[in-house]
Amino acid sequence: MDEEILQDFLIEAGEILESLSEQLVELEQRPEDYDLLNSIFRGFHTIKGGAGFLGIDAMVECCHITENLFDSLRSGKLTVDSNLMDAVLSALDEVQRMFAEVNEGEPATKADPALIERLHALESGQATAPASAPEPSLVESEAPEASQGSSTVEAAGGDASEAEFEAMLNAIAPAVSSGSAATDAAEESVATADDDLITDDEFEALLDELHGEGRISVAAESPAPVAEETPKTETTGDDEITEDEFEALLDQLHGEGKHTGAAIAAEAAPAGDKANSAVAGASNVSAMPARPKPASAPAKPKEETSVRVDTARLDDIMNMVGELVLVRNRLVRLSDKNETSEEMAKAVANLDVVTADLQSSVMKTRMQPIKKVFGRFPRVVRDLARSLEKEVNLELVGEDTDLDKNLVEALSDPLVHLVRNSVDHGIETPAVREANGKSRKGTVVLSAKQEGDHILLSITDDGAGMDADVLRNKAVEKGMMDTEAASRLSDSDAYNLIFDAGFSTKDAISDVSGRGVGMDVVKTKISQLNGALAVLSEKGQGTRIEIKVPLTLAIMPTLMVLLQQQAFALPLASVNEIFHLDLTETNVVDGQEVIIVRGRPLPLFYLKRWLVKGANPFEKVSRGHVVIVTVSNQRVALVVDHLIGQEEVVIKPLGKMLQGTAGMAGATITGDGRMALILDIGSLLKRYAA
Amino acid sequence: MSNAKQRSDDPLLQWVTFRLGTETYGIDVMFVQEVRRYTEIAPVPGADHDVLGIVNLRGSVVTVVDARVRLNHETSDITDETRIIIVEFNGEVIGLLVDQVSEVVYLRRSEIEGSPRISNDETKRFISGVCNKDDRLYILLSIEKLLGQSEADMEMDLF
Repeated sequence: MDEEILQDFLIEAGEILESLSEQLVELEQRPEDYDLLNSIFRGFHTIKGGAGFLGIDAMVECCHITENLFDSLRSGKLTVDSNLMDAVLSALDEVQRMFAEVNEGEPATKADPALIERLHALESGQATAPASAPEPSLVESEAPEASQGSSTVEAAGGDASEAEFEAMLNAIAPAVSSGSAATDAAEESVATADDDLITDDEFEALLDELHGEGRISVAAESPAPVAEETPKTETTGDDEITEDEFEALLDQLHGEGKHTGAAIAAEAAPAGDKANSAVAGASNVSAMPARPKPASAPAKPKEETSVRVDTARLDDIMNMVGELVLVRNRLVRLSDKNETSEEMAKAVANLDVVTADLQSSVMKTRMQPIKKVFGRFPRVVRDLARSLEKEVNLELVGEDTDLDKNLVEALSDPLVHLVRNSVDHGIETPAVREANGKSRKGTVVLSAKQEGDHILLSITDDGAGMDADVLRNKAVEKGMMDTEAASRLSDSDAYNLIFDAGFSTKDAISDVSGRGVGMDVVKTKISQLNGALAVLSEKGQGTRIEIKVPLTLAIMPTLMVLLQQQAFALPLASVNEIFHLDLTETNVVDGQEVIIVRGRPLPLFYLKRWLVKGANPFEKVSRGHVVIVTVSNQRVALVVDHLIGQEEVVIKPLGKMLQGTAGMAGATITGDGRMALILDIGSLLKRYAA
Repeated sequence: MSNAKQRSDDPLLQWVTFRLGTETYGIDVMFVQEVRRYTEIAPVPGADHDVLGIVNLRGSVVTVVDARVRLNHETSDITDETRIIIVEFNGEVIGLLVDQVSEVVYLRRSEIEGSPRISNDETKRFISGVCNKDDRLYILLSIEKLLGQSEADMEMDLF
């Protein structure tokens, strides 16, 4: 097995599988969507083709039967129902499992025979013509083309691509036979096909005819473009047609037939004639190697303008840009400090601008639409809703929001947790919803949008909402706090309890949720990403969970501070404000020093005592710089020696030996070439302030 | 040469030697990437106490371990002779702070004695063998053991 071909297949099939699962769930919502059916059919077909080529028989078998099923669906012999969808979804799961096995370099194991049986059963009992005409009305518009087709075939000679041609005939034949006017011509065409061979070129010409027909049936409504389009069809290249294009053409033909009603088809017929004569008039049609216009295969032009790049290479580029940013910082600082000539200053300023542009361009290359993560949710929600016997409608908003590739991957798990939670805990059963005067069907909205330099994700449900009192009681019950402390919690503090480890309000543990680990993991993960979580809830109305994450993970804006000549970087995302404070004006509450900021008491900590060896804990500081930081709704004041300023830093991971050191997110190289530690304020507080 | 035959079944091994106090240690040259002069090391709060901190090695962050602490020696001051030996093991790059780097010595495998009975258990973990040559004792370190585990001394408080 050729490794390179296999890799190509894995990449392509992986992408198809991803979109398939999304499309299948979509199909359940819109079972009548013909384009969608076609697209799914094509997806399975492409995977089957690739798998067949690589000899992955198990995958071929599974795809083949599913493909047949969709063929029946799109020809209208079967209709979409949830029973059928269950079977198809499990077929997709099987294919995905095999895909994973092949990816691991293992041979794919056979699909569950019971499933294959079930798929066969669903498909059988139907007349199994591979592809029949979608609607009789199409006949009229196809008639002239069929006769044209026959003349092409007559002129034939040389090599054939018979399989493709036959598939083509299958597509035409039923349409023709059910028609009346064109029967003779069609029979002629079928007859000649049986004993004559045709060349690829002629076949293409034939395809073009068909294609032209399809377009014209739309264009007929406004006849002007017809003349313009036909010549174009003639003059383009002479490549061999690929299977995909062929599929696309067929699909388009069918699709067109579906959409253009009888009235348009009637109109289309004369227009089609005109076009045909135009083509014929140009020269001998069969000898004219023509190619469909790019518009006919929407997937095509995209491929030509984009390049697949190994993500490792992108990471390399990103690292190098990061280095460049550091050098830039250093130069900027040097030129600020020393008296440099005007030219030098100009050059540095120029470098500054170019580097910033380069950095943002490179960052953009790593951006991916969040659709990649969102795409799995329709399936997740559907399966979950079915197993919980709830009715849930998932709405996705802002799927095209771009964010850093690493972030897309990192957000996937937390979002799954949150969405599952919304469906499981949030949305009530249909009966309860009706009793509360809501619609039977609950709604979960998953949205993403960019806000300045961060991304705001939210999961909103219109379910039961959270009851702050229940949460408070639960906290007491679990021994997390005493009754008094619990009663002092504000509602929003109470909601945040759900992110604490071991906290679950579900009395029974299900396989869905209720173990009280999920939300804890979510919180940890989000704070690792320098993100923030917020919960808004109203009892009876629903819950909204908001996640804020930075646009990228590779470069982070920070606030540089000095503690006894050592530089530390505080993630700017968690810094709220900075001010100079008279430190003699502090109060002590419960043994903890606090300062009052705008009427709110904040615990005050001296970073130096935590982070600098040998710092005197009882050192009296009369005035100091105070940085107010917020981490997961905990707001504290930190005293530092000096503020250096804002600096964009490249995060360098710490070596294995230092990984997991409390409070340290990584290191970076400062503008003056020294090392600075990047603080992870969340774990810092956990380690030192507890 | 006459010992050509001997060479094949008794390979000549190269060791980078360095000094800690009065003793001479050796590291297999295959693991040594480079030797650097002492540069300022940024301490990492909360790290194990034998980890001195991190340095900037051409843009990447390298953890520096104090060999004296690891090998139970008295700490001494940084001098002109102090070096950081950059070793790479299993893709992980680590710096070892030593008092002085001397030379590369060639030792035959047959010259190296196995398990030594010279020091306490704490240090013996890191030693793969000893060699007595030209009236000098070389203590040969096992990089796997030296870097594989760190002392679980997490509870050392900074206050």
